[in-house]
Amino acid sequence: MTNRTVIIASDVHVVYRVYEDSKSGVKQLFSRGQTKRNFRLIQAVNGISFKLSEGESLGVIGSNGSGKSTLLMALTGLLPLESGSIKVRSRPTLLAVNAALRHGTSGRRNIIIGGLALGMSKREIEGKMDEICAFAELEEFIDLPMRAYSSGMRARLSFAIATAHQPEILLIDEALAVGDARFKEKSAARINKIRSQAGAVILVSHDTAEVARSCDRTLWIEKGELKADGPTDEVIALYQAATHLAG
Amino acid sequence: MADNPADADLIDLSHTTPLISYLQEIWVRREFAIVVPINDMRAQNMDTALGQLWHLMNPIMLISVYYVIFGVVLDTTRGVDNFLGFLVIGVLLFQLTQRVIQESAASIRRNEFLIRSIRFPRALLPISAVVGQTVAFLPSLLVLFIFVLATGETFSPRWLLLPLVLIAQASFGLGAAFIIARIGFAVGDVQQILPHLFRLLFYMSGVLFSVDAFITSTAMQRLFALNPMYDIITVARWSLMDLAVPKESIIGLVLWALVLPVVGLLYFRANEHRYGA
Repeated sequence: MTNRTVIIASDVHVVYRVYEDSKSGVKQLFSRGQTKRNFRLIQAVNGISFKLSEGESLGVIGSNGSGKSTLLMALTGLLPLESGSIKVRSRPTLLAVNAALRHGTSGRRNIIIGGLALGMSKREIEGKMDEICAFAELEEFIDLPMRAYSSGMRARLSFAIATAHQPEILLIDEALAVGDARFKEKSAARINKIRSQAGAVILVSHDTAEVARSCDRTLWIEKGELKADGPTDEVIALYQAATHLAG
Repeated sequence: MADNPADADLIDLSHTTPLISYLQEIWVRREFAIVVPINDMRAQNMDTALGQLWHLMNPIMLISVYYVIFGVVLDTTRGVDNFLGFLVIGVLLFQLTQRVIQESAASIRRNEFLIRSIRFPRALLPISAVVGQTVAFLPSLLVLFIFVLATGETFSPRWLLLPLVLIAQASFGLGAAFIIARIGFAVGDVQQILPHLFRLLFYMSGVLFSVDAFITSTAMQRLFALNPMYDIITVARWSLMDLAVPKESIIGLVLWALVLPVVGLLYFRANEHRYGA
């Protein structure tokens, strides 16, 4: 049986308009189209195409500013494309629930808030409460306000919330770089589980060891363009050879 | 890239969701707009000695200040039998809508990071602001009833109209919230201007004095009926106190409550993809 395609990205271009000293936005109120302001264009993603099938985990590597995070944002649909298209089987979920969490509120309430923000129902979250607490290893601290947590605890909690509802397509941006070695192993195992349950995972990182641990296929992006797409070990070897030559 | 017929059912991310799916998605995620604002409200007075009691103390203190100045010192009670009851209804209902609108004006900017990381109908943010302020108003509503009863008003079947008035007020507030949320996102200065606008509106809504007693021209009174805040307060006073039927204000309030949410949502959504960008 061939695996179904879950993402088709064709010739994706993303351009940032960075406005210079923005004037008041009064004009913007009355217009639906683009208003004219002084801005600089930054070509962040420049014609990238790839296909992703279910069951795949795809790594995306590249140096800082290569456009890999922008590509990930484009895949969430939060960022408008300049040209090209992205088609998906279901809307990808970015592993980023931090923005919804309240530091003055307990871990338990934050699990509910974070889950609701990700589109789960309250009943669904309450059913998974114990599992989330256990995965985040926060059972005894779950009723403390989140501001009392260490950064590692916070990261574990948001990882546990974001991966609790088994998204069909999960997007991760360097999220695994937190936590100790043991938690990294655990996270990698959970990613594998999501992938095995007919999901797909895209992991953006500049840590090649991270990508090697979780992904079997990798894209290498430089200056917004695709340099290589293939098995992780081969692409990482190319990437390392190039960076060593440059450095 | 060859087109595979099996891929025909993929969703194109650039397509905007039709209005009906947008509304459905708001409905599916309704719990978010209820749980989060209530949580934030509870967290608000966590560090104070009197804690949640402040939700009751604040409206009582506010009323006292206005009563001393306008009821006792300046005496603007002309044409009003029960000035304290009259004042309580005006001040507290005005404050509710003012808070709804001020909270909504900041709702998009305050949640910039959330907008950038999670996809959801952005209308949920102004909706959350309305829900949060309405829930926060419940203690004030209790205060309102206590004052109205204590100042000698007696229950009449007309009191049963008050929930309808509050629903109409919430509906107007929601529409205004959508509009101000988009404006507040585009122009940050709005948050500085709003308090002054509301102070002006406060005096033009007959919160502290009876418009009927001070303004005699019918044309002028009709003009007041265009002011939604005046309509809300006037109809609420009529439902709880023994006053003449404010026909113009009833019609005005119904129209505001029906039209503004629709116009507001459409205006807000036309800018949907730009929020957070």
